[in-house]
Amino acid sequence: MPRITVEDLDKIAERARKATLLSEGAGRARITMHMGSCGLAAGAQKVMEALLEECERKGIQDVILTRSGCAGLCSREPMATVELRGEAPIKYVELTPERIRKILEEHVLGGKVVEEYFLREQPVQPPMEPISEEEPISGVTDNGFFARQTLIALRNRGLIDPEKIDEYIARDGYRALLKALTSMTPEEIIQTIKDSGLRGRGGAGFPTGLKWELCRTAAGEPKYIICNGDEGDPGAFMDRSIVEADPHSVLEGMIIGAFAIGAHQGYIYIRNEYPLALEKLLTAIEQARDYGLLGGNILGSGFSFDVKVQRGAGAFVCGEETALIAAIEGRPPEPRQRPPFPAQCGLWDKPTNINNVETWANVPPIILRGSEWFSSMGTEKSKGTKVFCLVGKIKNTGLVEVPMGITLREVIFEIGGGMPNGKQFKAVQTGGPSGGCIPAELIDLPIDYERLTEAGSIMGSGGMIVMDEDTCVVDVARYFTRFTNRESCGKCSACRDGSEALLEILDRVCEGEGKDEDIALLEKLVKAIKLGSMCGLGQTLPTPVVTTLKYFRPEYEAHIREKRCPAGVCKSLIRYLVDEEACTGCMLCVKECPVEAISGETKQPQTIDQSKCIKCGLCYAVCKFDAVSRT
Amino acid sequence: MISLTIDGQRVEVEEGSTVLEAAQKAGIKIPTLCHHKALRPYGSCRVCLVEIERQNGSTVQTSCTYPAQEGLVVRTNTEDVLEARETIFELLLARCPDSEEVRRVAAEWGVSETGFTKKNRDCILCGKCVRMCEERMGRAAIGFVGRGSNKEVTPPFGTPSEVCQVCGACDFICPTGRIDLSEVTSRKPRPILSEYNKGLVSRPAVYIPSPQAVPNLALIDREHCARMLGRSCEVCKEFCEADAIRFDQQEERQTLDVGAMILAPGVEHFDGAKRGEYGFSHYENVVSNIQFERMLSASGPTEGKVLRLSDGHHPKSIAFIQCVGSRDAVTGNKYCSSFCCMAAIKEAILAREHNPDAQITIFCMDVRAFGKGFDRFYQRAKEEYGIEFVQGMISRIVGLPRSKNLRVSYVPEKGERVDREVDMVVLSTGFQPDEDLRRTAGKLNVQLDAFGFCRTNPLEPVQTSREGVFVAGVFQEPKDIPETVMQGSGAAACALALLSDVRGTMITEKTYPPEHDFTDATPRIGVFVCHCGTNIASVVDVERVVEAAKQLPFVGHAEANIYTCADNSQDHMREVVEERDLNRILVASCTPRTHLALFRETAREVGINPFLVEMANIREQCSWVHAAEPEAATGKAIDLMRMAAARTARLTPAAPEELPVVKSALVLGGGPSGMTAALSLAAQGFDVHLVEKEQELGGGLRDLHYTLEGDDIQAFRENLIAAVTNSGRIEVHLGTNLVDIEGHAGDFLSTIATSRGAKLEIKHGVLIVATGGREFKPQQFLYGEDPRVVTQRELEDAIANGEPVVGDRDTVVMIQCVGSRDEERPYCSRVCCAQAVKNALKIKEKNPDATVVVLYRDMRTYGFQEIEYQRAREAGVLFFRYDPEMPPTVSGREDLVVKFDDPITGQRKPLRTDLLVLSTGIVPAEDNPHISELAKLPLDEDGFFLEAHVKLRPVDFASEGIFLCGLAHSPKFLKENIFQAMAAAGRAATILSKDSLLVGGEIAWVDGTKCVSCLTCTRVCPYGAPTISFSDPHRRIEIDPVKCMGCGSCAAECPAMAIQLHNFVDSQISAAIAAMMGAR
Repeated sequence: MPRITVEDLDKIAERARKATLLSEGAGRARITMHMGSCGLAAGAQKVMEALLEECERKGIQDVILTRSGCAGLCSREPMATVELRGEAPIKYVELTPERIRKILEEHVLGGKVVEEYFLREQPVQPPMEPISEEEPISGVTDNGFFARQTLIALRNRGLIDPEKIDEYIARDGYRALLKALTSMTPEEIIQTIKDSGLRGRGGAGFPTGLKWELCRTAAGEPKYIICNGDEGDPGAFMDRSIVEADPHSVLEGMIIGAFAIGAHQGYIYIRNEYPLALEKLLTAIEQARDYGLLGGNILGSGFSFDVKVQRGAGAFVCGEETALIAAIEGRPPEPRQRPPFPAQCGLWDKPTNINNVETWANVPPIILRGSEWFSSMGTEKSKGTKVFCLVGKIKNTGLVEVPMGITLREVIFEIGGGMPNGKQFKAVQTGGPSGGCIPAELIDLPIDYERLTEAGSIMGSGGMIVMDEDTCVVDVARYFTRFTNRESCGKCSACRDGSEALLEILDRVCEGEGKDEDIALLEKLVKAIKLGSMCGLGQTLPTPVVTTLKYFRPEYEAHIREKRCPAGVCKSLIRYLVDEEACTGCMLCVKECPVEAISGETKQPQTIDQSKCIKCGLCYAVCKFDAVSRT
Repeated sequence: MISLTIDGQRVEVEEGSTVLEAAQKAGIKIPTLCHHKALRPYGSCRVCLVEIERQNGSTVQTSCTYPAQEGLVVRTNTEDVLEARETIFELLLARCPDSEEVRRVAAEWGVSETGFTKKNRDCILCGKCVRMCEERMGRAAIGFVGRGSNKEVTPPFGTPSEVCQVCGACDFICPTGRIDLSEVTSRKPRPILSEYNKGLVSRPAVYIPSPQAVPNLALIDREHCARMLGRSCEVCKEFCEADAIRFDQQEERQTLDVGAMILAPGVEHFDGAKRGEYGFSHYENVVSNIQFERMLSASGPTEGKVLRLSDGHHPKSIAFIQCVGSRDAVTGNKYCSSFCCMAAIKEAILAREHNPDAQITIFCMDVRAFGKGFDRFYQRAKEEYGIEFVQGMISRIVGLPRSKNLRVSYVPEKGERVDREVDMVVLSTGFQPDEDLRRTAGKLNVQLDAFGFCRTNPLEPVQTSREGVFVAGVFQEPKDIPETVMQGSGAAACALALLSDVRGTMITEKTYPPEHDFTDATPRIGVFVCHCGTNIASVVDVERVVEAAKQLPFVGHAEANIYTCADNSQDHMREVVEERDLNRILVASCTPRTHLALFRETAREVGINPFLVEMANIREQCSWVHAAEPEAATGKAIDLMRMAAARTARLTPAAPEELPVVKSALVLGGGPSGMTAALSLAAQGFDVHLVEKEQELGGGLRDLHYTLEGDDIQAFRENLIAAVTNSGRIEVHLGTNLVDIEGHAGDFLSTIATSRGAKLEIKHGVLIVATGGREFKPQQFLYGEDPRVVTQRELEDAIANGEPVVGDRDTVVMIQCVGSRDEERPYCSRVCCAQAVKNALKIKEKNPDATVVVLYRDMRTYGFQEIEYQRAREAGVLFFRYDPEMPPTVSGREDLVVKFDDPITGQRKPLRTDLLVLSTGIVPAEDNPHISELAKLPLDEDGFFLEAHVKLRPVDFASEGIFLCGLAHSPKFLKENIFQAMAAAGRAATILSKDSLLVGGEIAWVDGTKCVSCLTCTRVCPYGAPTISFSDPHRRIEIDPVKCMGCGSCAAECPAMAIQLHNFVDSQISAAIAAMMGAR
């Protein structure tokens, strides 16, 4: 493919539109299969194969079959979007090969929406058209999961084929780069980013423009930029999803950033556990190079820049800037003292700017639409939108992008759909293992950097783990502590040995062996770990313990003093018993019990042998007569 | 420079420094564990936390990694910092509860217990080893693997590394002792064994050879230094504050123009491993005597504890095996090493003192306790300490694999083979000249004997085969310390005889500035507290001593020095004294014995009277003995310093006087020792009066005819007398006795008188006592009753005169220890064993078929005499040991019959003999008590003169200016008398070569108003310094300033408290005591 010039971008966009837009006569209908990791895991590949087979068999010619990344609602995968010319696109969920065949038959060919599989709350699907500068990117339905979402970083999710650069270009892709290279100075770009109020989406929320400026003005050549794609929080996958669905948005952001900072080499550090993202990224880089968007003299501007992809071996700590730099340099990923900051002394001891995937993806729209557009969204100090991973005890699990300042209630109940099975909301853990556990009473907390910090938690990279009444917070604290203890790089005694000691105490509290002084010991420990650790991992690892202690102290006390787990989670502290009155002797529990601990005659009350019971809770869950009780 | 504030204190540091370095510069203490000067900051242990102020609140950071920045405000002791640090110490203590380093540092900061579960891991992951290997050694043979609690240090893939250069730096730097080199490297780790500690422990490649090394400086071992071997490292450079490390230093060759040369290179010790049957270097609990000595040393590798190397336990039974590599035909070392019996006895006693329950056995052939006082020591070992002595050689030692005990197999004199299990074996390895000595001797063109010792003539015992080259010490022949010291002084005297013309020509007179008069000045003391490297500072908190000093009255300045005695420290001291206008100096360091002279000299150089210098001994008396209790030791050091400071403020100057030296000597005794001493002094250019009570010179030489080696003693005597007579510098006074002596070193006045009463007064600067001894005349074994019973000397006379002593088939019996080693004379006469061997050989030469039987207790043919002893046995002389409990008996009517116990059968045997020779001992000269009284010279228990120190000052008397040699000192051989006489002359010359002596200073003086002339002082003074003043009408006591040695006995004893010792007056001592008591 020839190298493109500035003028070529328009042509490519035009060509892509012609090839994809139904309104441009590209076809009669279009079926987009969402094939992100979540979709594939749910069976999207089989559905796609069935669709292709069916089209082949039926000799269908005028239906465009395409694929894209995750559309956001991961819990309902596999998903497909069906669009007939002149009609609004329709999303189908929880597909199987049979269902897609039925949809093809009835909807695509028959023109009748299959309501059984159809998503009740449909988003307004923006067409594959240039995004006009006046109209907001958002434009989704006003209720349900897609309601209230404002897509900037996720602007192309589920819409374009991530392996087709042309489709990205058709949706204003690389326009921001063009604007930056042809009509802006690096200083102007930095000023725009500063004015936009964009803050690092990786966790700490450092102002991005300021970070760029520090690196630009730091002494030393060459300068490097790095994209941090080492997303390691349990329950967080926004970066993966962005790279899978829209890799060029990250590349474009990086090229703009490199130009602004004065770097000619970039690194994308991406974990090897994201094979799909890696594949899409490598394809995107090849395509961008072919178009001359990476490499020497980009778009004839005289500016050169290229990226290398560094695969991470899956260490949580590599999300820490200095550890990540060490990993790229081929050293063990251990954080080091800051200052000096990477902006002064980073990769190979040169000035280096690191932003995460989501931050980079935010850059092109800001450049294209201006800082004011971006800063008009969000709160006073937290501008724009933030992508959250909504997981845990919640109906709609998935990826949401919402404006800063939205309340937890809106996200959890309106977008997330609240708790399944009518359970009570108990708490939400934001910011992953480094974040805190926010209790139900703070449900109306607006989400931005400052407010979350005030509540004792953090924004983090955007994980949001929702807990219902059946969640034991001590167990949650233990879970995250175990994670951070395993993922600690082991350098700082405070973090390494502190988390181990923390875990030991939490273990014994959960085991019913807690001592009265353990809470004081925990408090002493968390202080030392927080103050005594070098990097963010250690400094924040006590947060789950700190916040659960702050908001749920009685639950700790119940474990320690009464040897009771109020949520009924900690196995050592619970017992399952059969209520003889209520038991009908249906034997369902007997069948389900994996260890044959339940016995009794048919139609007679059953008994549970406590010495055999492993407290898996299956009997409790399956009993239709509420005859199994947990104490 | 960057300026920052730490704990309110402004500190200036260079750009690039860390906050920790800044704090250290400001003297603010911050604990560290992972920090190491030579390594890049890492920040893993987290104990060096500090709080750093920022605009928006403060942050806690590790000071070792945080860069010092302009205007930074740091606090090291906020609540947050202290709390977090305490918790982290607790975490580290839980992780490695057994690490001494962690415990030590934690304890320093008040944390000794942990509230967390103990893990018993052995590594705190400080990364020192990893960084050392990578940054300094450029190897990266080890690294971190794993995360979180599973992190550990390992070579790649957990298999021994091939890139490891086995430098051991990782092991060396590890604070927890985690590193096992054999796990790190694929090669065999070879620790550099400490030569000084005889391989018991290893040493680094940069080291000070021994604590006594002169100069006491570190050196780099080229053969092991990684940098010298062309690799990286240079860690030492980071530490050397004096910037003294020079890697480019080359071997230098110096050419010295000398007139004489003394060889005193010593020899090596026999390598016990060459006697494989003893299992040395194979079984851990078999050690050599020298290793054992190191163990016994308080500064040694086990800090004075006797421990089994296998398990560190105290041995309950120890066997000493004598004659390993001595008296040994197998290894060719046929000589006796002379020192090992006594060394073993001493070591056994010390071991016993360490553990009174230990069973200690010495396996030996003979116990050769032949030196002065040695036999008494041997008896004490047996009787007081219960050391068991077993005559019998060990056939082999087998190590028991489980207990690591040793099974010692031996055949006793009587009976069957015995197996005995002991916890530890000490091999008494002897001396052995090494190849280096052969090479050196070859270059010097000096002849060696067959064993590699320096060849000498018994009558010229310090003269090598090359003129002008003299020899001293064990290189000449194996010997113990006193003889080594004597021979050293003797060699010096011989060398000085060659150099008498140029004596003193290389001396440059030192000039001093005029002394300041501080009589009315308020005392301003400069206190210098010495780290002594780590000798003091590793135990005593020197900074706290300095701080305490600053609080004391009259202290004008206090500081700490790494080495106060170093040249640059002396320069600095002079500067400080002048800058701070100090008029007294107090050095808190080591013993005044070694360094007071140096600091006094420094004081003189800045016009301070040397007697205004004081020392507090915080090393020998504090850090060394209280190493385990740093806190208490610091307290004691402060007390010692405080006491000394109180004294220092009250010190008064003293002005020693110069007294001219009379440059001549009086030698008492005209025997071989006296004549040799006189000749040596004469050769050194001094006039000598040789006073002999007999009418002719020669003394005991007249009765000797040949040496064991065959030299003609009578010829030697004639030559000696001729030399004396012809010397021109020696005035011989025959037939005269000493009747009076007065005066003092440098200026004696002696009166000698003939038997007819003619008196002569002689002025002399020194006195040498060489009054000799005499042969014991026995009254047992029919001596004097039966003509067939003679003494060895009489036998020698007869042989020398060619008399037919025995017939061809006759039997001769010799009985040893007649008049020696008995209750009346419990000392060994040293010479009789060799004498018996000598005469037995003579008989065998003439009458090979004669039967010669020697009845002995221990054959004490030490040194090379052992070879003659063996020769005698080979020649058929029969040697039977007798037990002093069952001594031989002699009866004689017609037949002279000796009865003795046959040691093999245990039965008493009668033996008809034709001649009975008694090996009689040597007894002190008859007039020793008389001379002792005249010259106030002490005698020992046996009636011989007592030297100043048995081992270290064997020819000096405690009184200055008087020396001794020869049999007056103790029984010994002619060659030993000769070099001792030379030694006495050499020592005497140290006084005679001076034009004047300084007297006074720290001496006693009498307050005439209090003295009642009770004469207590004259009785207690060992030097005869106090006398009645006849110029005083009240006849009060006066003290001769020259004789007074400042010991203070008189001052302590004077009932009227009329005597005070300068600078030890009551007010000074009271002040010191008050200072200490006030401190409590």
